[in-house]
Amino acid sequence: MSCKKTQELIIDYLDGNLDQKEQQIVSAHLTTCISCQKSLQELQLIFDGIDQDPEELPDASMKVNFEEMLQKEKETLSDSKIVSLQKNTKNSWRTILQIAATIALILSAYYLGKQQNNQSISQEIAVLEKEKVQLKQEVTISLIENKSASKRLQAVNYAEEFEKPGNEILKALINKMFYDDQINVRLAAAEALTKFSDLEMVRKALVHALEIEQDPGMQIELIQILVSIEEKRAVPSMEKLLQNEETPNYVKDQVTIGLPSLI
Amino acid sequence: MKNLTDEELMILVSNGDLDMMSVLFDRYHVKIFNFLLKMTRERDVSQDITQEVFYKALKYRTSYKKGKFSSWIYTIARNIFSDHYQSQKNKEQRLDEIGYKIEREEIYQLEKDEIKEQLNKALAQLNQSDRELVIMNRYQGIKYQELAEITGSTAGAVKTKVHRAIHKLKDHYQQIV
Repeated sequence: MSCKKTQELIIDYLDGNLDQKEQQIVSAHLTTCISCQKSLQELQLIFDGIDQDPEELPDASMKVNFEEMLQKEKETLSDSKIVSLQKNTKNSWRTILQIAATIALILSAYYLGKQQNNQSISQEIAVLEKEKVQLKQEVTISLIENKSASKRLQAVNYAEEFEKPGNEILKALINKMFYDDQINVRLAAAEALTKFSDLEMVRKALVHALEIEQDPGMQIELIQILVSIEEKRAVPSMEKLLQNEETPNYVKDQVTIGLPSLI
Repeated sequence: MKNLTDEELMILVSNGDLDMMSVLFDRYHVKIFNFLLKMTRERDVSQDITQEVFYKALKYRTSYKKGKFSSWIYTIARNIFSDHYQSQKNKEQRLDEIGYKIEREEIYQLEKDEIKEQLNKALAQLNQSDRELVIMNRYQGIKYQELAEITGSTAGAVKTKVHRAIHKLKDHYQQIV
């Protein structure tokens, strides 16, 4: 092996990085070459010198300075974190507002819906009420023509419950008052008509009924009604009853009691 | 955290756990300081630069890309040293500072044993590239492969360069003694 080649391998030889064959070749050369031996020794000296060179320790202040610097860096990091937190706070406010808006929307939608629902329900109820009244009137009219006296009486009582009975109901009631076979039905009809005495049609009917009425019980009832509604047009009929000899005394008494409040 | 590798620690640092840098500082600051001490032969300057190395490592923590941490920190150290060396060279143009520097070097050398003294002198005669290769490889025990990573070269090329630098060092040393 040449000296040049040995010089190339000599560091690896010292470091023990050569394989066995190379190691032997270099060793063989070194035993014969004084120049390369010298070079080996010099390198060994330098490597030993380097290895024995102790690592120096920096001042303790370095660690202190580093920790100080680290602390500052952490502060700037947390500063930027604060900025991001503020952003988050804004975002959370936005979120809260969004949630609030959502709740408000839901609530308003609910109440709007409820109100509309209420309106439609009351509309429905109104329709149903109207239908109910119409049905009741129809039932009343049909019942009033029923063969059973008790049914007719019931119908008259129904008719009395109407706040604003239709003309058909009124006509039916007047008809019952005049012509029903049963005195009870006629009495009940007369009584029911009292309730609607503010209507001219009813007043005329009541006055006319007293003029033609033959039944004493009915006459008493009509006198009481006509006095209570202060119908002056009934006065001639009443005077006629007083003058009529066939009029029972208790009917005349009733006229005597009632007539002064009319004149 | 003491069981974590350098790389694991540095990933934690780059993710914002800055306290982990303290562990890395404990592991590496003496090595980096000694590397710089050999390069500059000035204790104060070496301490300042070491401080700066860890400051930059912390500042640019997100630029760490999961390579070998030691390569990364040495790369930073080399860069800062180069910057310092450039500005130092400019300063040396002024005569009064040169006199001051020589005086300091002599005080420094007087404190050391003979071989170390001579070796340091020999080292100083190497150019910067050879010097740092010798220091990192022989003084600091950094393997060729990692040296290649630090210097941006291949392991084979680095090995050849290191061997040449050692032979140069030997020649300078022989001249001194």
